[in-house]
Amino acid sequence: MTVALVLGALLAVLCVVWVARPFLREPEPVDDTLAEPEARRLALLDERDRALGALKQLEFDHRTGTVSDEDYRAAVGGLRREAAEAIRALDALDAPPSERKEVALVG
Amino acid sequence: MIALSVAALLAVFLLYTSIAGGTTASVQPSQLAGKVGTVQLAGKVVGPVEREGRTLRFTLRDVEGTATVRVVYSGSVSDQFRPSRDVYLRGRLANGVFVGEKDSLVTKCPSKYVPKKGTDSGSA
Amino acid sequence: MPELGRAALVVALGLTVYATLAGGLAARRRRRRLALSAQNALLAAFAATAVAAGVLVAALARHDFSFVYVAQTTSSDLPLAYTLSAFWGGQEGSLLLWLLVLTGLGAAAVAFGRRAGQDVLAWVVPVIGGVATFFALLVVVVESPFATQVAPAEGAGMTASLQNPYMIAHPPLLYLGYVGLAIPWAFAMGALLARRADERWIVATRRWTLAAWAFLGVGQLVGAKWAYEEVGWGGYFAWDPVENAALMPWLAATAFLHSVMIQEKRGMLRVWNVVLVVLAFALSLFGTFLTRSGIVASIHAFAQGPIGVWFVTFIALVLAFSLYLLFTRLPQLRSRTRFESLVSREATFLYNNLLLVAFCLTILWGVLFPILSEAIRGEQRTVGPGYYNFFFKSFGLPLLLLMGIGPLIAWRRASLRALGRTFLWPLGAAIAAGVVLLALGAGSSPLGLIAYTFSAFVLASIVLEFARGTRARRALGAPTWPAAFAQLVAHNRRRYGGYVVHAAVLLLVIGVIGSSLYQTVREEALRPGQAMTAGEYTLAYRSLDERDSQNAQEVRAVLDVSRNGRNLGTIETGKNTYPIEQQTSNEVAIRSDPLTGEDLFVIADQIDPDGTVYFKVFVKPLVNLIWIAGLVFVLGSLVTLWPDPREARRLAARSERLRSAEA
Repeated sequence: MTVALVLGALLAVLCVVWVARPFLREPEPVDDTLAEPEARRLALLDERDRALGALKQLEFDHRTGTVSDEDYRAAVGGLRREAAEAIRALDALDAPPSERKEVALVG
Repeated sequence: MIALSVAALLAVFLLYTSIAGGTTASVQPSQLAGKVGTVQLAGKVVGPVEREGRTLRFTLRDVEGTATVRVVYSGSVSDQFRPSRDVYLRGRLANGVFVGEKDSLVTKCPSKYVPKKGTDSGSA
Repeated sequence: MPELGRAALVVALGLTVYATLAGGLAARRRRRRLALSAQNALLAAFAATAVAAGVLVAALARHDFSFVYVAQTTSSDLPLAYTLSAFWGGQEGSLLLWLLVLTGLGAAAVAFGRRAGQDVLAWVVPVIGGVATFFALLVVVVESPFATQVAPAEGAGMTASLQNPYMIAHPPLLYLGYVGLAIPWAFAMGALLARRADERWIVATRRWTLAAWAFLGVGQLVGAKWAYEEVGWGGYFAWDPVENAALMPWLAATAFLHSVMIQEKRGMLRVWNVVLVVLAFALSLFGTFLTRSGIVASIHAFAQGPIGVWFVTFIALVLAFSLYLLFTRLPQLRSRTRFESLVSREATFLYNNLLLVAFCLTILWGVLFPILSEAIRGEQRTVGPGYYNFFFKSFGLPLLLLMGIGPLIAWRRASLRALGRTFLWPLGAAIAAGVVLLALGAGSSPLGLIAYTFSAFVLASIVLEFARGTRARRALGAPTWPAAFAQLVAHNRRRYGGYVVHAAVLLLVIGVIGSSLYQTVREEALRPGQAMTAGEYTLAYRSLDERDSQNAQEVRAVLDVSRNGRNLGTIETGKNTYPIEQQTSNEVAIRSDPLTGEDLFVIADQIDPDGTVYFKVFVKPLVNLIWIAGLVFVLGSLVTLWPDPREARRLAARSERLRSAEA
């Protein structure tokens, strides 16, 4: 009976220590805020990946014969454009503020 | 949009089939009085159980109650079947005795898992 | 030692509560250390639950009948493997297993789910914590596995038919599936709570969802095999509520697996996917609930204790919570992309989804009908197998066809001309197969013939996909055909693993059709020396044998089997009597033909004292394809799940960019 209680208490103590660990390791943290991703960048990243993925899929389908030559030629231009636009938008995001404003005005 | 309309269609279809037929009333011995036609009778087996060739005779009681009815049944019987087990079967009341449909007896498994069947009631 | 078990569960409960509350606070206020602390609490909860589980396993192993649970589910003569499997054989133990798997999978998913983003993970922890708190509450307050008593001399023993290797595997496999579906749901909720509208949570949980779905599928097949061999009524599935309980979440998860591909590729169907994952998880909770409270069995008022009320309340809470989040985030989730064409792979996936969900809801309706009809009409009415079979055929056939059409159609838009070309070979194969089968006599069941024709179409389409892909790979420079094939699969694991899984489904369908639409059933009472025929088989009843085994008395009827004059050997069928458990079990005889996959299935329904035996004989063509399908299913799932170093590198690079965005 007492063995069980001792073991139980030991378990409880170990768990509490483990739970408190982040606070024990960094009693005075430099920055305690949870990172928050830039929503705009995420959306653009996803658009670019999707466009590139669609291109890859089209190539694959064309090579295996699911998509005919005519259909391929009809689709590939549009997909390449989508991908290029997404990459350009991402680059605009990374560009220094002055350049960014220019791009916004022009494009 | 498409999804909603298909769902609506399906709902109508389902309601229709449920109401139009294909469903059986599920009752216990206390609710059997006056029921005509085929019903699904559920209850607890009360001994003694008599066997005559392929025919089984036993009494079925409300799971939580005292109403009973005599049952006559021919067909496959699961190995779980015996007094104090809960079972259900299809059939109809005839002259105060419930006559079960062949192979429709299902015995519930006591350990809360899959009910034991004595029937190939399903697809295969 | 039961005190240790109880204490460990109380500790676990405290930890899950902390994970929920502290985790929620940390996510709300964006406190990094607190979020980490909550995450640690989830892992610690797993450790505490594992300690409790260990106590129970130890008690089982040493047959400690002072534990009420051990006394209720085992006896001292029970073989060790079955004794240990009694862990999940009863209510309390199975709830403990739920908690164990949930905290374990949850902690792991969060630890390896960095791809989803810190903000999402911070919310995933309290969500999983909330579910874990529910189950911890159940095992601490309502149904504790550690109730004690004055130890009786002997335990109640395990039901005879559960003493079967399949029954050792079946519950854990199903649980990994049920609980596994909590992971994608939790991540979906986490993403909604973090106000994110992207697909990262799907990518992060892709393998978890696949694995859960695979376990659920295999678990059901193992259950079906057990029902076939052990329960022995001649079938493997009977639309019983407990069988439907596992089928429904599996159907929803299948739909989900397909539609997330559309979301990943086109950014569409975001709302639909959230609905699907909520449906899948809610159904898995419902399934857990169905198998332990008798509320929807056609036998009324079977609830064992208050557990039913707890579950219903919790499911309602989960649904309310999920739907509230969905509604408040609806504007964010709506995507601008539209379906470009009704003839495209996206559209095929959508039709597949609609059919799967429709079928799933049909089953749900059938399962709930008795309760609803009683509440509304005052009379409990049940639906029979006819209802389920009708919809199975109505939805199943188009689904089968779609499985073959999908791979042949391009994304976004497929021109009819291109379709004509790609469909040519599979259509030809289907027609050819139909003609051949008709000649072989498959016309005895027109439905079966149609289904087989469709199956031929699907098979041809799958083979064509592999062939075309391999050829393209070869053109790209692979040295040999086998190398081309290997490279093709290695570079496109999800796609071709998926095709292997489709092939497994195909095998399953062929097996089901053969063994149900083309089966023969014969019943006859034989005295020793007499014979009967079933299909092409002749069975001669020779004698009745009696013998003893470790814990049973066995009676066997010995039969000689021959087919078309050729002697095929002897089979035995009969019954076992277990004195301690006071139970009898049917022991059926199954003779499988290795060449045709056909089974001769013999039941000794009734054995009279004078030696007369009432035999029920089934001839089930192609039934073994079902079990082979299970193996192919596992293979396909493994291929899809296998880590791909190239894909991992690509995703790592992407999340690196994400992290630099967060910094």
